[in-house]
Amino acid sequence: MTRIRRLLLPLLLLLPLAACAATSPFEGRWRLDKARSTALDGWHEWDLVIAVTGSRVSLRHDMKWIRTNFSATNTVDTAAPVEIPAFFRVEQRHMALYPAKGGLTTARASWLDAGRTLRVEADTPIEISQGQANMRLYYEYRLVEGDQALVLLELHSTRPQPLVYRFTRVL
Amino acid sequence: MRRLLSLLAFSLVLLAAGRADTAGRSACVMRWNLDWQVAGGLPEKVLLLSLQGLANRAAPQLYVVHPPEFQWEITAPLFSFYERKHGVKFTELTTADEALTKFAGAAKGYVVWDPAIPATMNVALTLAGLEDALVVTPALIPLAEKHSLKPIDDLRGRYTGQSDAQIYGDAVTRYWSRCSRDAIMLMGGHAGAVRQPAVADWGIRQKMFFHDLSANPKHPEELALAQHLLGELHPGATVFGWHSYAKDTEEQWTTLLSGYGLKMEGLHNLPNLSFNCQFTFTPGFKFTNTPHVARDAKLTADKKVYLSFVQSDSIGIGVWTKPGRGKLPFAWQVTMNWTKFSPAALEYFHESATPNDYFIGGLSGPGYMYPNHIPADRFPGLMKEARELMAVLDEHILEIMDNSAADGNVGNADLTKETVDAYYKAFPDVIGFINGYGPARTRDLRDTRPMISYDYYIDPRRPRAEVAADLNELIALNGKRPYFLLVHVRESNDVNSLIEVVKQLDGPVEVVPLDVFLKLAASNQTYTTRHQDPADPKHFHGYK
Repeated sequence: MTRIRRLLLPLLLLLPLAACAATSPFEGRWRLDKARSTALDGWHEWDLVIAVTGSRVSLRHDMKWIRTNFSATNTVDTAAPVEIPAFFRVEQRHMALYPAKGGLTTARASWLDAGRTLRVEADTPIEISQGQANMRLYYEYRLVEGDQALVLLELHSTRPQPLVYRFTRVL
Repeated sequence: MRRLLSLLAFSLVLLAAGRADTAGRSACVMRWNLDWQVAGGLPEKVLLLSLQGLANRAAPQLYVVHPPEFQWEITAPLFSFYERKHGVKFTELTTADEALTKFAGAAKGYVVWDPAIPATMNVALTLAGLEDALVVTPALIPLAEKHSLKPIDDLRGRYTGQSDAQIYGDAVTRYWSRCSRDAIMLMGGHAGAVRQPAVADWGIRQKMFFHDLSANPKHPEELALAQHLLGELHPGATVFGWHSYAKDTEEQWTTLLSGYGLKMEGLHNLPNLSFNCQFTFTPGFKFTNTPHVARDAKLTADKKVYLSFVQSDSIGIGVWTKPGRGKLPFAWQVTMNWTKFSPAALEYFHESATPNDYFIGGLSGPGYMYPNHIPADRFPGLMKEARELMAVLDEHILEIMDNSAADGNVGNADLTKETVDAYYKAFPDVIGFINGYGPARTRDLRDTRPMISYDYYIDPRRPRAEVAADLNELIALNGKRPYFLLVHVRESNDVNSLIEVVKQLDGPVEVVPLDVFLKLAASNQTYTTRHQDPADPKHFHGYK
């Protein structure tokens, strides 16, 4: 019995991952619904492209500002923390905050709510006018019922209110 | 008796002087609408702008008042200022026909442009200045001829099927040798169905070459022609107008002209310069800024957040006339060149300043330029001119902006160490420098002169709750006290909303005038010294 339990426990833990890896409802291109989101600052458009491969989740940000297109990907791992050298944060770009030169961001990810929420926590070094500071970031990517909308909640350790972004699936 | 006669004579002189002063002069005014559609109101406005430029050649005779919604909101207040302070008696003209009845004698004929080929408008405007011609579309020929004007040239058909580079190349061959070398007109801005060439009167009066050549490397033929023209201007010349919204960017054009040591004076729709340039300051007027601290004072910063607001973009397109001004300390960047061609406007701003309004010099020098690109041999002469203008205007802080590597108002807006060194050498007596448009990270402190960049730029469309959250986040991250938080207020933000934002800020925060802010920043350098790092990302690398 104990042996069976030992075998079952990891399997049970891995079930949500397996489900996600198979056909994760997160996968695909999601477009920001600006009317139902916190105002962007310094970006006009934002597509989020999510891909799930095993325990690794790729979060690609396709950004647009006037005529400039910019793309950056953060890949997190729900099995282990990762260190990301060029962690992309959708900044409020009219603030004098910049990714610290050469800084490494530690990111931890996990599936919650039976695989319907992806939680990402990150500690990222930021260049400020007084030198350097650390920003603790907390993200929850939540699927909305029907899987055609995605809500991203973003908290900063340094910001008094959350940023809430709503995306709709691009078919 | 002799003394009595002397007194009487002196009294008569005073009386005569007074009469001359109050009698003023007469001029005409037109009130325009906002219809600048090429297929609507534009052709008649272009005709009237050419008429204004010619009518105002010898004397200020025709002024235009634009609606309050027009980008330059000062035309109506300045109109009142001319009446009140210069004693101008205006007669209102309501139609183009009336205006031509009054001023057609200033023109020797007309030139026809083709609205289907936009560049022909600029060629015709060049010709207007050189030949004293009115600029008309085919539909307006009868109106010109009604006033006994004859055709001087007709551009219809001449440029059919040609590119802008070809059209302007031909115009250079025909007209450039006769055009001013002290100024050139970049008549771009709005393009397509709407155009707003409201500064054309000035270019015609001054016989400038009009064009909207591209500074975008994607248009190599136009860029090469623009470089040829800029290279033939006199040192220190001015590029009036604005870049074409359809071809290139503000950053590209300003980078280009700065590389020749030239000054930009915007915009394409800056009105009435041909009128404004002919007024001096009123007798006895002298600029005196409103200092909030003695020039040689040494202040000590407390352990709190010091916040200072700056409004740039030239005060004429800002919130000067909107409610709320004076409730918060504000620094206003003055377009210093206006002392030369729009002194009444500067006097108007100065006259209506509140104790909370403080004027600073800009932008980067005696005109709008990107200093990282100014040739080293041109820099000292340009900055000498800037120092002289600042002295006239009683200004003691210089605002610098270099967006050559930026992407609009985001990105890299920093100054190289060489540029920073040059400013410190050129301005030994200023209180300090500020830098940026969007946020930037160039900071320094040498002797008592700090150089501080904007830590925040308020987009007028950003919800005020988010503005407060942004500022609170900067305050949280910059944890040392004092923290010097310099904020750029974009042109159309209203002051009343900023008062509400300030109420939502965390911690001990004090909003201080910019001169006090820089004095405090000199007392305790809690900010890093930083210049443009060659490794910092650049959106545009320039032309060399």
